[in-house]
Amino acid sequence: MSGIRFDAVRRIYGHEGRGIVTLDGVDLAIADREFVAIVGPSGCGKTTCLRMVAGFDRPTSGSVKVDDVVVGGPSPERAVVFQQFALFPWKNVFDNIAFGLRNKGVAEAERRERIAHYIKLMGLAGYETAFPHQLSGGMQQRVAIARAYALDPVVLLMDEPFGALDAQTRVVMQEELVRLSRVNPRTVLFITHGVEEAIYLADRVAIMTRRPGRIKEIVNVKPIRTSENWDQHAKIEDVMDLPSFVHLRTHIWKSLREEKGVEGA
Amino acid sequence: MSRRSLIGLATVGALLVLWYVLTMVTGTINTGRFPSPDDVWVAAGQIVAKGYANGRLHIHILHSLKLVAMGFLFAISVGVPLGLLMGWSRRAEALINPIFLVIRPIPPLAWIPLAILWLGLGDAAKIMVIFFAAFVPAVINTYTGVRNIATPIIEAARMLGTPRLALVSEVLVPAAMPSIFTGLRLALQASWTTLVAAELVGAVAGLGRILNVAQQDLYPGMILFAMIWVAILGWSTTKLLAIAEQRALPWVQVRG
Repeated sequence: MSGIRFDAVRRIYGHEGRGIVTLDGVDLAIADREFVAIVGPSGCGKTTCLRMVAGFDRPTSGSVKVDDVVVGGPSPERAVVFQQFALFPWKNVFDNIAFGLRNKGVAEAERRERIAHYIKLMGLAGYETAFPHQLSGGMQQRVAIARAYALDPVVLLMDEPFGALDAQTRVVMQEELVRLSRVNPRTVLFITHGVEEAIYLADRVAIMTRRPGRIKEIVNVKPIRTSENWDQHAKIEDVMDLPSFVHLRTHIWKSLREEKGVEGA
Repeated sequence: MSRRSLIGLATVGALLVLWYVLTMVTGTINTGRFPSPDDVWVAAGQIVAKGYANGRLHIHILHSLKLVAMGFLFAISVGVPLGLLMGWSRRAEALINPIFLVIRPIPPLAWIPLAILWLGLGDAAKIMVIFFAAFVPAVINTYTGVRNIATPIIEAARMLGTPRLALVSEVLVPAAMPSIFTGLRLALQASWTTLVAAELVGAVAGLGRILNVAQQDLYPGMILFAMIWVAILGWSTTKLLAIAEQRALPWVQVRG
């Protein structure tokens, strides 16, 4: 199958025996073009899961596969959107998006076309020559998302991408991401500690236990979203008011609350 | 003109007036120890028109500029790449850092005797001393610049499939650039400091040579005039570097 697959993934930091077990047997399969969000208490290892798919980290045992191939090092096939944006401050918006495409050897004409497409889609038109420090956090994250999408990756990895944004900007970005992922469905692994964000965005929400992290439960949101017709509501607050949404949120909160160490529960 | 620079100008103006009054009106300061404006003016006229200590002013200036430029350029063209290498490769760092830790605490001026022993009293010895003075801040600041690049920037570069060479030229160097420029500024200042000291020991021309000869001649006006020129050259080369920095780093947030 294509998509992402975690098989009995363990991750131990430090020396075996005395080390800290961060992940203890994570099993998760994400289908092609499926949007899966992982929620869990702080320090449960959800970011570690994403970093393993990105190729920044490796499992101590078990395997992480993308398209049935064990993940090696980082690659533009597995594009990452970082919490702190990680744009290159010395490159303007256009060049930030173009950099990965040049590395991939995408021909000039196609490069320009793709960049123009995502600049328009992410509402960045007119900002092509702006440097990151001239943009707000929300705009910078738009650039980072455009950069990731423009790579045309096999999977998209988002590590709390809206965690550093203020509340209003975050809502706008969540709505934009929903719009983008309906127009342009991709295999997405989305890490967050926002339960509502996870339900609103994802097809399935995976709940992790506290450390050592495992997948505790997977909540299938998509059938409910489809049957209750969530997408007819353009605004996130209207979706969040629906009884079906409230029901899911309560369910996931209860599940998380059972994990001691969850903050603000 | 901003309020700040107006105040600055007023302070300098007040000091000049005070200098004039204390030396030429009240005579509180003995002009045999510290020159009057008039003495400096006479010294200036002499060295510009007729020359002093083997040459006219522009000869001395050009000679000092040449030594600083050579020492500084030589130091940064070795120091910056070395700093990049140490910042990027743990192995290179492990290899080079111990040598560096030994050299680092030696004041640059302590190299003067050895430099003269090896290379004589000519320009080469002075360039060597300036090299050692400028080399250390160039290496250290480049090294820390690379070391302090945020991890997500490096990870983003890897994720974007950056080839090795582009990683250096398009990511490491620009990311470390603000710190590299700090190194260049410190290296330039060290070059001027060391130049004057090296020329004091023995030189055929240069600002240090003027200072040395004027001291032997008990000529305070000339001493102060040469000191003023060291300040002018140090200030203007630093200014040039600052302009280059602004041009090279349009993306750096202007610090308020």
